[in-house]
Amino acid sequence: MTADVHRSTAPGAAPGGQALSTLILAVSAIGFVVTVGLVLSALAGDGHRAFNTNNDGLFWGLPIVTYDFFLLTSTGLAVTATIGLALGVKEFAAVSKRCLWLALAGLAGGVLSLFLELGQPLRALWAIPFSFQFASPLYWKVLCVGAYVVLLLLTILRTLQPGWSVRAIRPLAIALMIAALGVSMIAGSVFGMMVMRPFWFGGEIPVAFHIESVLGGLAFAVFFTYLAHGFDQDRLPAGVRALFRDRLPFAFTLVISLHAMFVAARTVSGLWSNADGLQVWQHIAASPLFHLEIWVGVALPLYLMIAPGTRSNGRMQILAALLVMVSLFVARYDFIIGGQLIPPFKGSWAPSMLSYVPAATEWLLLLAAIFLANLVNAFGERFVGLDDVPADT
Amino acid sequence: MSIVDTSTSRRRFLQASSATGAIAASGALGTVGNLLTPADPAQAAPIESGTVVTKSICHQCPARCGIDVYTTNGRVHAIYGNTDHPIANGKLCPKGPLGSYILYDPDRFTGPMKRTNPKKGRNEDPKFVPISWDEALDTVAGRLNTLREKGESHRFSLLFGRGWGASCAGLLGPFADLYGSPNVGIGHSSMCSDGSVVAKQCTDGNASYSSYDYRNANYLLMFGANFLEAFRPYNNNLQVWGYIRGEKSPRTRVTAVDVHVNQLIASADRGLLVKPGTDGALALAIAHVILTEGLWERSFVGDFTDRKNRFKAGQTVDPATFQERWVKGLVEWWNVELKDRTPKWAAEVTTLREADILATAREFGTTRPAIALFERGAHTHSNGLLNGMAIHTLNALVGSLFAEGGLAYQMGPSYGPMPVKAADYMDDWAKGGAWKTMPRVDLKGHPDGYLLAKNMIQEVAKNHLANKPYKLDTVMFYLTNPVFSAPNAPQWEEMLKEVFVIETSPFPSETAWMADLVLPDHTYLERLQDAPTYPFQGFPMAQLRVPAVKPVHNTKYFGDTLIEIGKRIKGPMGEYYKALNNSENVIRHLAKGFEKDPGDNGVKDFESWKEKGVWYKKPYHWRQVRGEFFEWDGTGYNTPMSAEDVKAKLMPTPSGKFEIRSGYLEAKADWVAGVSGRSKDKLMFPHWEPPKYSGEGDLHLVTPKTALHAEGRSANLPHAIVLMQPTAGNRKHTVAEIHPSVAAKKGIKSGDRIVIKSPVGSTVAVAKVTELTRPDTVVLPFEHGHWEHGRWAKDRGTHVAPVIANQSDRVTGMANFYTAKVTIEKA
Amino acid sequence: MTKWGMVIDLEKCTGCQACSTACAMENNRQPGESWQDVLYYQEGAYPNVKLSWLPRPCMHCENPSCVHVCPTKATYKTEDGVVLVDWNKCIGCKYCQIACPYGVRFYTDTKAPVEPDVRTVFAAADGKHTWSPPYKAPDGREDWTHGVGIPPAGVVSKCTFCYHKVSKAPAGVADLNEDNPAVKEYVPACVRTCAPKARYFGDLNNPASEVNKLIAEKKGVRLLDHTGNKPQVYYLTGKSAVIPSGRALKNT
Repeated sequence: MTADVHRSTAPGAAPGGQALSTLILAVSAIGFVVTVGLVLSALAGDGHRAFNTNNDGLFWGLPIVTYDFFLLTSTGLAVTATIGLALGVKEFAAVSKRCLWLALAGLAGGVLSLFLELGQPLRALWAIPFSFQFASPLYWKVLCVGAYVVLLLLTILRTLQPGWSVRAIRPLAIALMIAALGVSMIAGSVFGMMVMRPFWFGGEIPVAFHIESVLGGLAFAVFFTYLAHGFDQDRLPAGVRALFRDRLPFAFTLVISLHAMFVAARTVSGLWSNADGLQVWQHIAASPLFHLEIWVGVALPLYLMIAPGTRSNGRMQILAALLVMVSLFVARYDFIIGGQLIPPFKGSWAPSMLSYVPAATEWLLLLAAIFLANLVNAFGERFVGLDDVPADT
Repeated sequence: MSIVDTSTSRRRFLQASSATGAIAASGALGTVGNLLTPADPAQAAPIESGTVVTKSICHQCPARCGIDVYTTNGRVHAIYGNTDHPIANGKLCPKGPLGSYILYDPDRFTGPMKRTNPKKGRNEDPKFVPISWDEALDTVAGRLNTLREKGESHRFSLLFGRGWGASCAGLLGPFADLYGSPNVGIGHSSMCSDGSVVAKQCTDGNASYSSYDYRNANYLLMFGANFLEAFRPYNNNLQVWGYIRGEKSPRTRVTAVDVHVNQLIASADRGLLVKPGTDGALALAIAHVILTEGLWERSFVGDFTDRKNRFKAGQTVDPATFQERWVKGLVEWWNVELKDRTPKWAAEVTTLREADILATAREFGTTRPAIALFERGAHTHSNGLLNGMAIHTLNALVGSLFAEGGLAYQMGPSYGPMPVKAADYMDDWAKGGAWKTMPRVDLKGHPDGYLLAKNMIQEVAKNHLANKPYKLDTVMFYLTNPVFSAPNAPQWEEMLKEVFVIETSPFPSETAWMADLVLPDHTYLERLQDAPTYPFQGFPMAQLRVPAVKPVHNTKYFGDTLIEIGKRIKGPMGEYYKALNNSENVIRHLAKGFEKDPGDNGVKDFESWKEKGVWYKKPYHWRQVRGEFFEWDGTGYNTPMSAEDVKAKLMPTPSGKFEIRSGYLEAKADWVAGVSGRSKDKLMFPHWEPPKYSGEGDLHLVTPKTALHAEGRSANLPHAIVLMQPTAGNRKHTVAEIHPSVAAKKGIKSGDRIVIKSPVGSTVAVAKVTELTRPDTVVLPFEHGHWEHGRWAKDRGTHVAPVIANQSDRVTGMANFYTAKVTIEKA
Repeated sequence: MTKWGMVIDLEKCTGCQACSTACAMENNRQPGESWQDVLYYQEGAYPNVKLSWLPRPCMHCENPSCVHVCPTKATYKTEDGVVLVDWNKCIGCKYCQIACPYGVRFYTDTKAPVEPDVRTVFAAADGKHTWSPPYKAPDGREDWTHGVGIPPAGVVSKCTFCYHKVSKAPAGVADLNEDNPAVKEYVPACVRTCAPKARYFGDLNNPASEVNKLIAEKKGVRLLDHTGNKPQVYYLTGKSAVIPSGRALKNT
């Protein structure tokens, strides 16, 4: 089959999708300029005093949650893309190009959030790579993210060439997959290595991060693929439709299940265990948001993807993807903030448990990241042809 | 955010890459001194080049710690304790280092100013305009000359708080005599701690605070004096604490009595949380046990002639059977009061456990040397004098007066005479004008007021407003701000609206807001000012503030302001001040006394005094050893003293003994009985009288000072604000400590705003629910709640004074700050 | 080689916070940015309430987790055993704050506990420093490489053991005792000002030093030993003092 043939199998994709992506492009561009402008002006005036983080123990706030969420989504999308390109599961190649581009979009949002969160962001660009601080997970994370960025860009460049093929791209895709898995593993280690913070500590954390990353990748792939086609299952290209009918719900089910196991295991041991810091689990378990996250954000999508009546239903897939996306964000928030709620050695200067509500600037930064990611994605939808599939599938 | 700061990044990169080299270089620096190991103590460590160390004295509490002020290029940047100063010993309390902030407080007044808005009040901006010093001083002198010409010189008053020495507060006496006003030099002592001064005057004849030999004591029993947060000299107390608790053998045992858990209670071996105002009951019970169990010090107190102890609870004793040594009236006291003051009785009054009272009494009675000390917690109540006398009598019972490890009094410094004598410059008005027969406006020393008090500053506003005895015309303030700090403070606002107000503080304050003229003083790091020590360890000491920098603003030392006003008064008074010349001349004359009596540190004149910052001469000259008194002869306490010597030099009571039966009170028995309603049979003895609480609320309100409470400026020091009330853990302002049982009843949570109400007023506070306080007591530190005091102080925290009624101990005149009973509710 | 260490005798400590203010003024810290802090704890119920406190400088750990996690080597350990932050390298990622079990690190850009913000009232004219208090240390002392002086915005700061002082101490000196005039100027501010003499400072590598003597004789302990950080600050608990429990209690 040629690319032309393929394109012709999805005649409805282009016109409707184009109008929508143009609209998203415009809205995202305006939204991004406004939100990033507000954030920058707040930072120019007050510095990070505009954030609600503090020195009592809440050092990493919503911008770091945003950063990690976007970064892990990006790596998950890259992994999703490379299922088809590197592992030879050819059905997945139908969404590879879009996933790669989405990975780039997510990365852009994450990096934006990180850079506006760091105290000296530009210094970080050289100070980290040249530090040779092999003991720091963040050093490896930056190296790995660097490699990931380069490989992602190279891979995307290859997919922009007419007649790109799995065969030609495979070595690059394998490297990208390794880099992506490396990033998510080290992102987990950043927390999992913190022995002084029992809430985070544990060798399973990098594994959980992998799973959450891939789960996010699948969810975003589903959602944005549908978005590109006006949320209309019938408009999906044939290859995508085939994938979404069978393989994808299966993969989705598998990864949600793994995720659910980790959530259950960590929650139960967190609630039961006694080390200082783990009492945050009682606090989390008492919050409605957490129950929304696990029952509506994990259990319901799992059911939707298992139940024969819904697993192949487009609307149900969109719903499941959306629920998973939101619940992963809530989980990321609970994880990163929760690990800091017990202040280390502050006595009665700080409450026994900190309370954190993100500042307006921090929320705006999240919005800016969302707008930027959508801007990049919509640009891809509008100008790049993300429904392209490799010539050899 | 240096997201756009690319210009420096490259430079910083270059610097960073040489970091390792820099570390190596700093290591090399260490060898430059080339000193032997261990470092030679004789070789003082070099300070940074260009840095000058000036000797001065801290101003942030009365303790007068010697300080080293580090100044580089005209900028004060560090303050440490003066190593060669007997109080500081190189150390400081938490306030000490903050002095440089006070110097550079951005809210300071920059020069003299006058008011242009004739209306006065909290909400009336005074609209100050700068004026010259000449105009300012001429204005004051003009008013004073006019008053004097009208024969109303008594209507000029000068109120002062922290007097330091001969060159400031010391000038007030001659000013009063020459000008002719009984109201020049009304001190703040009745709002401070006169309760203890008068209690001591009544018992051992010394109207003074005590000096203490803590380092040799083996037992300390502390009543309402927070040794580890507020009691003077705080810095030295902390040094003492480290020694007696961590190094001394045997470790000194400490029992502390207070109404909430503070750092002293937490650090003590035993903390007794008494019901406010009942400290005297506890002391009486301890005395009761000491007598019934025969634990008193026989060499000092005396004994039954047959050495058989007849003190049995509830039974009287024949006075003839007891031979008294250095005390007077012990058996009479027992018969009239003490025989019924059993631990069981005291347990009911104080709410303490009987077993704890008994254990404390036994420890105190059997551990020598022992000191019982007390301050405001015990005596700022209607029964404060009685509480104080009861506690101080414990010292007599265990023989601690003038003993090693006991307590004594303070010797004065060997100052030279003033340059000129005021007596030589008195005109007829000064010598015999009508002012001589005028009562003081506060009715101190007056039968209608407070006959036995030392000062009654808290009565000034009330008496002025009531036109009783008369109204003041012009009032000048030096280091006191009763508009904020006096009981029923709002009354002072009304008074200040009616008089011409002259404020001398370097800083904005409530008084300055109501002022007509502001003549700002230097801050302490800019002053040349003498300060003899407060009672410390008895040996004489006088310290000197030496300016570390030239005055930052157009300010004038208060001593010089006063001298300059004096120069402008017509007649011989003006001549006196011209002869006095200036405050430095006064200080130079004081220092001449050291020529004949050089200090232990070699200080022998003005220059050496400036260099060392302190003159002192150890030791204290007298000591009581097992009932015998001795005087220092230059090598030891070798010269025995007669009973007459002791009476003249140490216990100037009518009997020359420690008077449990107070001759001082007995001499005024009719007056005391009249104003207090006390029985004439009992009023001269320490005895139990329930405190009269003011207000009908269900909760006591106690307003302690915390460690960061400086002499009035901590409220505007951001670094002090964040540390002000550490045990409650609030970084922003003082909070009201409320017991959980009260909080539950009233539905109050930590962080809630509450209204505290008393019959005189109400105030709003933020609650902190804590087990640290008694269930019947609200604890709210005195410090915050200024409505004018600088940008950080204004409207921060809670002003406590509006809910404190103006009630005083009728005998001592001590303001009853801790007597309020209030109600609280959620705001 | 010297390894600086501190001993804090909790039995002598009165919780007065002079260490905190002396540090804040010597090192020009912002209010509440307490490199040296005293932490207060309460447990129990009236009338038997335990109020306790713990003075807490940086522990200058032998095996500091903050150094391990710093991605730029801005946080480092000197040869004489002091943990410092190089403000020329710090990127303000705050991972060291996350990794420090003792809570001793401070980001320069957080909300001021006390308004008006001293960074506004005493704003730095050069735009390079977080603030410029009028009583700040002599300009020549500023040393960003060692985290000494007033930092730029966007970095993390911490106790330096008063590195500008101790680094100038005579080589080989065993004890930096403020009562010894020869070394007084090299003693960290908190130690020098401590009125009850609850603090001792010296060379942990010198077996004869006072700090080693106290650790041995009075049974010095280190905080949170299980984290493996191995502090160079030891606490003495004597007869009656306590190390507060780390377990957070319920809010009241």
